[in-house]
Amino acid sequence: MKLLPLRSDIQVETTQQREPATAMIEIDRVSQIFQTSGRQSHLALSDISLTIEDGAFVSILGPSGCGKSTLLYIVGGFVSPTKGVAAMMGRPITGPGPDRGPVFQEFALFPWKSVLGNVMYGPLQQGLKSAEAEAQSRALIEMVGLKGFEHFYPKELSGGMKQRVALARTLAYHPAVLLMDEPFGALDAHTRTRLQNDLLNIWERDRKTVLFVTHSVDEAVYLSDKVVVMTRAPGRIKQLVDIHLPRPRRRSELLLDSHYQRYVVDIERMIDDTSEDELRP
Amino acid sequence: MMTARDALSRSAPFLACLGLLGIWQLAALALKTDSLPTAWEAVRAVPSILGDKESLVNILASLRRMAIGFGAGVMVSVPLGLTMGRSRGVASFFNPLLMIIYPVPKAALMPIIMLWLGIGDVAKILVIFLGVSLPVIYHSFQGAKAVEEKMLWSGAAMGLSAAQRMVRIVLPAALPEIFTGCRTGLVLALITMVTSEMIARQSGAGNILFNALDMGQYDTVYAMIIIVGAMGIGLDVAFESLRRRLVRWSEPGFDIPIGFA
Repeated sequence: MKLLPLRSDIQVETTQQREPATAMIEIDRVSQIFQTSGRQSHLALSDISLTIEDGAFVSILGPSGCGKSTLLYIVGGFVSPTKGVAAMMGRPITGPGPDRGPVFQEFALFPWKSVLGNVMYGPLQQGLKSAEAEAQSRALIEMVGLKGFEHFYPKELSGGMKQRVALARTLAYHPAVLLMDEPFGALDAHTRTRLQNDLLNIWERDRKTVLFVTHSVDEAVYLSDKVVVMTRAPGRIKQLVDIHLPRPRRRSELLLDSHYQRYVVDIERMIDDTSEDELRP
Repeated sequence: MMTARDALSRSAPFLACLGLLGIWQLAALALKTDSLPTAWEAVRAVPSILGDKESLVNILASLRRMAIGFGAGVMVSVPLGLTMGRSRGVASFFNPLLMIIYPVPKAALMPIIMLWLGIGDVAKILVIFLGVSLPVIYHSFQGAKAVEEKMLWSGAAMGLSAAQRMVRIVLPAALPEIFTGCRTGLVLALITMVTSEMIARQSGAGNILFNALDMGQYDTVYAMIIIVGAMGIGLDVAFESLRRRLVRWSEPGFDIPIGFA
């Protein structure tokens, strides 16, 4: 596949000229309690407050079962919080909407639609003319590196290709925020690396706000401006870590970078430190 | 080599039919009773039945009732099954009702239905409708229940309303399962068609069959069985080719992932 040219010349400028950050998403004292079988209840999220700025790439990092995906689903409007409010651009979130585009670990493609049909689905739903939707979708399919596969069905594609389609399908309806729920979690290491690189390249183009859930420390540090480290159940925010690494980032350079290594080691320590968890009643 | 094997596997259904007829022929020759004519006699009676205008009208009337009963059954059962699959409340309301109807042979309801509706088309169509409904409801229900939540969320994020998600996501996603139900429903429609005409003798393929049985015309009886069987095979083949065209995307043979990141 063709990689997009890295526009390092322009990128430095845009980084410096960016307007003062405004809040895109505000999560205010959100708790989530799930009723399990019987009369038991499970506290999945406890009193989470978090502000995500416009154009920021924010990762939510934590062990499995810490409620990090639930937090993403609350922002998506797929799950209503038991307590607290999540708001997008000042408006409380009451349900899903095309301003927030999810990309799931399970891909969730429409298996009865071809690659092109999947990507065109959102634009057509938004009332675009068929020819226009197709032209836009073809361009997106090319951007995610799947030119030539427009008429393939999801069943015929590998996991990495499916996730590329899912990303293109979500980008096609121009959400203001991308909600990525462990999108590369089901992929092998090699495919995962390629998709991380391509995602960063695509993100560099328009710098959409991204909320990215992962349990991989490397992935979170490599991609993000900010990493939200969460504790094991009940999920609380343990620490916010700002990642001051220059962009555009090149993986090969970053792996040798001592600042990058420092971030990874520090965050790994934070996650291993369970003393705080055990103190909780 | 391959072509010979292909030819053999393609002609296997015909060979099976010929084999069955051959065994029948031998058995009839050996038994020599009136109630079992030879296969040849039965097959020879088929053209004379189909050539007879009145019989043909009867058979076409049967098929018409079956088509209406099947069509109405699918039109009602698919939306009901899909809604049950996506709503626990609707499912727990309808489940007990369906569980009561399920074990009752639909033809056994025929006498009661005849009391209300007479022995005309309406009663027979209603019985066929009931026969078709249960497998179609059950499979639509299973298909809708199995739809991935995240697929529906993806649709919701694109702005699809609950009703649109039902029609444009749940329905196509459940389609392979719905077709499985419809295929069973089609066979049951044929069975209930014949049995309804057996009870309410007025017209139809079942009527010809049982009249001939009363009059001891055994070659006609067996010829009608052959005709009904052929209708079953014909409908099933037509249905399968339709199914394969519409849900090709879910066929296992279609599953050839490409090695590509």
